[in-house]
Amino acid sequence: MSDTQILVADDSEEPLTNTRPEIPIVAPRRWLKENLFSSKSNTIQTFLFTGLMLSIVRWLLSLIFAEASDWTSVTTNMRLLFGYNYPAEQFIRVWFCLGVIIVAAMFTMGAWNAKPDFSLRKMAISTTAGGGFLAMIWFMCTVGFGFAPLQKVDGMPSGLRLGTFLLAALLIALGLGVLNFVHEPHKIWIKFTTVLYAFAGAVVAFLWLVPFGRYEFADGEVINESGTVATSTKVPWTYMMLLLVGAYFVGRWLRQFIPEGSYRMVMVIWWIVGPSFLIFHVLRDPAFDMGYVFRVDIPMALAFGLGGGALLYALAKPGRGELARVVGAVLLFFAAYNWLTAGLGSGHLFGWESMLQKARITFLMLSFAVLMAPTFSGEPAARRRFAYGWIGFIAISHWLITGVNTPSTLDIAAPPFLGGFVLTVAIAYYVFLASFPLGILMALARTSKLPLFRVMSTVYIEFIRGIPLITVLFFFSIMLNLFLPNGMTISELGAIFVGYTLFSGAYMAENIRGGLQAIRKGQYEASDSLGLTTVQRTLLIVLPQALRVTIPNLVGQAIGTFKETSLIAIVGGFDLLRIGNSTIPAQSVFQGQKRPALLFVCFVYWVFAYSMSRASRRLETKLDVGD
Amino acid sequence: MIAPDTALTPEMAARDDIIICRGVKKWFGDFQALNGIDLVVKDREVMVVLGPSGSGKSTLIRCINRLEVHQEGDIIVDGIELTNDLRNIDKVRSEVGMVFQSFNLFPHLTVLENVTLAPIWVRKKPKAEAIDLAMALLERVGIPEQAEKFPGQLSGGQQQRVAIARSLAMEPKIMLFDEPTSALDPEMISEVLDVMKVLAREGMTMIVVTHEMGFAREVADRVVFMEEGAVVEINQPEPFFTAPESDRTKLFLSQIL
Repeated sequence: MSDTQILVADDSEEPLTNTRPEIPIVAPRRWLKENLFSSKSNTIQTFLFTGLMLSIVRWLLSLIFAEASDWTSVTTNMRLLFGYNYPAEQFIRVWFCLGVIIVAAMFTMGAWNAKPDFSLRKMAISTTAGGGFLAMIWFMCTVGFGFAPLQKVDGMPSGLRLGTFLLAALLIALGLGVLNFVHEPHKIWIKFTTVLYAFAGAVVAFLWLVPFGRYEFADGEVINESGTVATSTKVPWTYMMLLLVGAYFVGRWLRQFIPEGSYRMVMVIWWIVGPSFLIFHVLRDPAFDMGYVFRVDIPMALAFGLGGGALLYALAKPGRGELARVVGAVLLFFAAYNWLTAGLGSGHLFGWESMLQKARITFLMLSFAVLMAPTFSGEPAARRRFAYGWIGFIAISHWLITGVNTPSTLDIAAPPFLGGFVLTVAIAYYVFLASFPLGILMALARTSKLPLFRVMSTVYIEFIRGIPLITVLFFFSIMLNLFLPNGMTISELGAIFVGYTLFSGAYMAENIRGGLQAIRKGQYEASDSLGLTTVQRTLLIVLPQALRVTIPNLVGQAIGTFKETSLIAIVGGFDLLRIGNSTIPAQSVFQGQKRPALLFVCFVYWVFAYSMSRASRRLETKLDVGD
Repeated sequence: MIAPDTALTPEMAARDDIIICRGVKKWFGDFQALNGIDLVVKDREVMVVLGPSGSGKSTLIRCINRLEVHQEGDIIVDGIELTNDLRNIDKVRSEVGMVFQSFNLFPHLTVLENVTLAPIWVRKKPKAEAIDLAMALLERVGIPEQAEKFPGQLSGGQQQRVAIARSLAMEPKIMLFDEPTSALDPEMISEVLDVMKVLAREGMTMIVVTHEMGFAREVADRVVFMEEGAVVEINQPEPFFTAPESDRTKLFLSQIL
């Protein structure tokens, strides 16, 4: 009996936990062995691909440091690349706009409570990898492998070589130090604010401490000076960094005072309207004739705003749906009539004087708003919000239009006032802003039950998809003015914008249609059985789900739009690429210097496109779509 | 032809006709799904529709709220005839709520937003009032604590109860149930059936297409057996299950029970 083992439950044992087992962190050496050198063929492939990548890097380095590459062509022409013809004395306006955009971006982060935190381990790995990459560059430029195509690259200035070596050593030391000596780095998260401080601080330090040297472009000669970069570069960028950090904190601080919904709506409205203000009122600096403004523009805005608001408030009362539709139809007819008479010149149609452009547009908008009134009908508070929305719309749009119609004070060598990188960003922004709703409308039309909409949108989409972008741009820049009614002209840039938007809209429509088809029939049935109207169902149920699914495609489209703006160079726009490719090489000092400018332009495009792509992946994980 | 007022107790026969189907026929292309349905549903009646798959039960109740369009015959809901007139359709839909087999909750909205959506946008209720109504309904179906969660975070039984609350938020006179528990795991079926039993006891007019015989026996006022698009037998639950009249009913019951 005594040697029988009695098994008793031992309370001292740890209970089975139901926590997930930790994903084991693989040591770098083991990772290398398992992934790159696991078998003979794997090893051979590793060596081949490494050799290939090294030779590509070497080729790029040789381009950058070649004797023939004169990088002063880029460094002295920064202002040209950024804003082309924009007068130098007024450049503060450009800095102002950049500052506003930085502040708005930080406020947007605050509105959406974006606090991207970084894992210390991942940062340490990136730092080590970055340091390794720099070390490889230093090695290539100092020693080389001795055999083609991996020989040493000549031409790197010794100061730069030393700097690269030091920086590489520093980064590798930091990264490896953290990985080896910090306990459990994958559990430590570095807050975004720390990264923000570090980034801003590093930029400021770079600008004020590192002796990059100063260049000046005077009398057709390049003057080389030693020391840090020019004051005109240092000071504004320092302000920008201060704004970056300050605005982030202010943006988060504001969260305590403004309800989240309103904060987000304000930011969305800002991004739709704000850039237009920046471009047409700040950059362009219209010379307002105050007398005319007070006599004509303001009374007109007040009349349309308050009168229209009162009309909408009255028509949004529940039960007045039929009346609203009738009034809307009448207004639409009236607005269409106005456009017709404008085309025929004044006095031709029953002696009707053609109205001011602004009035014509406003009547058209008013008729749309009236037609939408039944959707917004309800209790007085909701109707008042609708009316205020209209008043706000009038205030903003009239201010903008008045500004556009007024001549500018800028002393520009050759219009337009937009050029360089500013033009690239502006065109990309406007095209995306306009083609997004166009794409949604066309996608909804193409899947609509009504044959007229379906046919029209299919024809539009298939037609545009069959024509290359450059042809569309040519066609619109030349032909559009011939199709417009008398008295209405559109600038070349405006015509390009219209053509590009129509092009982009077709592709956008197809992307969104894909998203629409991903929605299950049950969603439509549930909406119908709850009694939602078709419009409500589309706006509240169908579109939110469809757009979520197509976000990867939409961002891909946005990146494509951004890069394809380079085509406007062919139809006369002076965007970033054209300046790098044609204007700089045409300067007498830098005759024929294409390579450095083109490399720089490529780099700029790549930085922005990659940032958009990264942001899109972050957005996808947050919305739980995609992988 | 089975008379639509078969098996009505005298007390029920005295109530109003809430749904009248007269000679309803429906084709899907060449296939005839409904073969002349004559049916009357009385006010506050709980009617359970049974039948093999393909018998037209789902098609019938989907015709009642115009998710399907019938080609021949009349359907009159609470005095409103279902025609192509959009106003009639809207009026009928505001009085008829529907619960689907696959729940059909809106995945991008929280549970609370799912329930308040229709009252706010269709009945134009102020937001606060809609939220109060929604929370009361969520308590009634037993899941008030899930209000801020998304449908994807809930179990099947909880999702179906949210779907019931969502339909009830429109304060309908009639509730249609299209196989509400068929997509649920067995342990969650009873929580949904309990909610439906409470609704029945409170006097809601219900038409339930289901395979849950226990529910039919316990709660139904009348049981309708359909096969191949036609009504084969109508009876009260006890006589239906213990002494079915038609041979086809006997065959069906022998396969199920």
